[in-house]
Amino acid sequence: MGGYGDVQMIDENGLRMDGRKPEDCRPIQIETGVIPVADGSARVIWGKNEVIAAVYGPMEAHPRKIQRQDRAVLDVRYNMAPFSTSDRIRPGFNRRSREISKVTAEALESVVLLELYPRSKIRVEIEIICAEAGTRCAGITAASVALAHAGIPMTDLVVSVASGKVNDVVVCDLNKEEDNYGEADLPMGILPNTGELVFLQMDGDLSQEEFKTAWDYNMEAAAKIHEEMARALKGGEA
Amino acid sequence: MSIPLVPELLRSHLSKLAETDMRIDGRSRFESRETTLETGILGNAEGSARVQMGNTIVLAGVKFQLMTPYPDRPTQGGLMCSAEVRPVAGRGWEAGPPSAESIELGRVVDRGIRESGCIDVDELCIIPGERAWQVILDLFAVSDDGNLFDAFALAGIAALRTAIVPAERFEIGEDYPLPVSKTPIMCSYHKVGGRYVLDADKREETGGDERIHITLGDDGHVHSLQKGLKGIFSAAEFDEIMEHALTRCAELRELVDNATKE
Repeated sequence: MGGYGDVQMIDENGLRMDGRKPEDCRPIQIETGVIPVADGSARVIWGKNEVIAAVYGPMEAHPRKIQRQDRAVLDVRYNMAPFSTSDRIRPGFNRRSREISKVTAEALESVVLLELYPRSKIRVEIEIICAEAGTRCAGITAASVALAHAGIPMTDLVVSVASGKVNDVVVCDLNKEEDNYGEADLPMGILPNTGELVFLQMDGDLSQEEFKTAWDYNMEAAAKIHEEMARALKGGEA
Repeated sequence: MSIPLVPELLRSHLSKLAETDMRIDGRSRFESRETTLETGILGNAEGSARVQMGNTIVLAGVKFQLMTPYPDRPTQGGLMCSAEVRPVAGRGWEAGPPSAESIELGRVVDRGIRESGCIDVDELCIIPGERAWQVILDLFAVSDDGNLFDAFALAGIAALRTAIVPAERFEIGEDYPLPVSKTPIMCSYHKVGGRYVLDADKREETGGDERIHITLGDDGHVHSLQKGLKGIFSAAEFDEIMEHALTRCAELRELVDNATKE
């Protein structure tokens, strides 16, 4: 959150720089089966973000010390490709990708029926190919589609989306400029069938009313994104 | 790579197929999988390409950085090529520091491009001794069904040939296309069932022996060679694949020319 209040990002008609209304999401397009050698895979193109996710498993968990006697372990990695941003990213794990991997794993563990696969491992690999802002949300969304595509039983999909605030206006699904100069960011992971949450982060500054609006925007956006996820999963392979 | 579960069964199956000059997916010895090449597919890279060969899919992205030229080469910029095979690309690839296999991949592709002289590092100099461009080519495997070498090399040269030097973003003049004077192409052959085949898939790599990578320039000049894995080959075997490589490289060069045309 830069908090640069002098950058004008909402015009006199209340529209955003890319022409969206405050509650609008960027266009989103999902496809399954994009990684032929994986057990399940998905690509999410969301605004200028492009994210791929692969699922391998359930497979034997090794070394044995990572095995759980009563359930599978979910091994989740979030990574940004070196060419995914305007400044090249040096390969290798960093603190940011570690944290995102952890919270993503915990979100997905909340819906995957891990107890069906004791002593095994399910690998979830999230790769950001092109980043525009909101990559963690796109990653979680892609990963849950890839898990479903792999036929891993889950209680629900996870739809992840963020709302925030720019120029004191609450807006849904921040783009790059809004993320850089905005005043708040509230990413959530929502179960579309129940409206429950499995992932929640926030940074910035929101009043109680603004927070409520951002929350509602996320819930409304999640319903629309869920339609596209379901379409991709029913539509079959690419 | 992890140890495959049934390499011996696969080996003997591949040998049996080789007796009647067959391959596991029905191809003939020097037949490649269907190969497609697209360029300009990554929004945040200055040059990019995507190659699909059967179920093998790779991406290449070019980025630029400013560097201080090395004291002994004050008028030269830099070229760096790095290949990453992350665990997304297949169940055999594991997380952690780069494996020897992925380092070899990056280095062999790098040598072919560098030694062909397709990028003149003197042209990358901005102010001698002070500032120069460093070109970074990142190769990324999406789906590994064998022969990442050729896919990486093909995507790499196509990405370089479409790269735009982002001078405006760095406030040093106008953007211009990266000068790339040649089109080095790699062709890889694997020993499977006792004879060399072109463009081996994952099963052939798993149940095969040594491999040979040949990079040829526009005029048929040899720019890099690499023999990988355990195995013995004869001069006659090498002659046969080198002769084939000349025609195959010309085909792939045409693919690059078509994909990078405006």
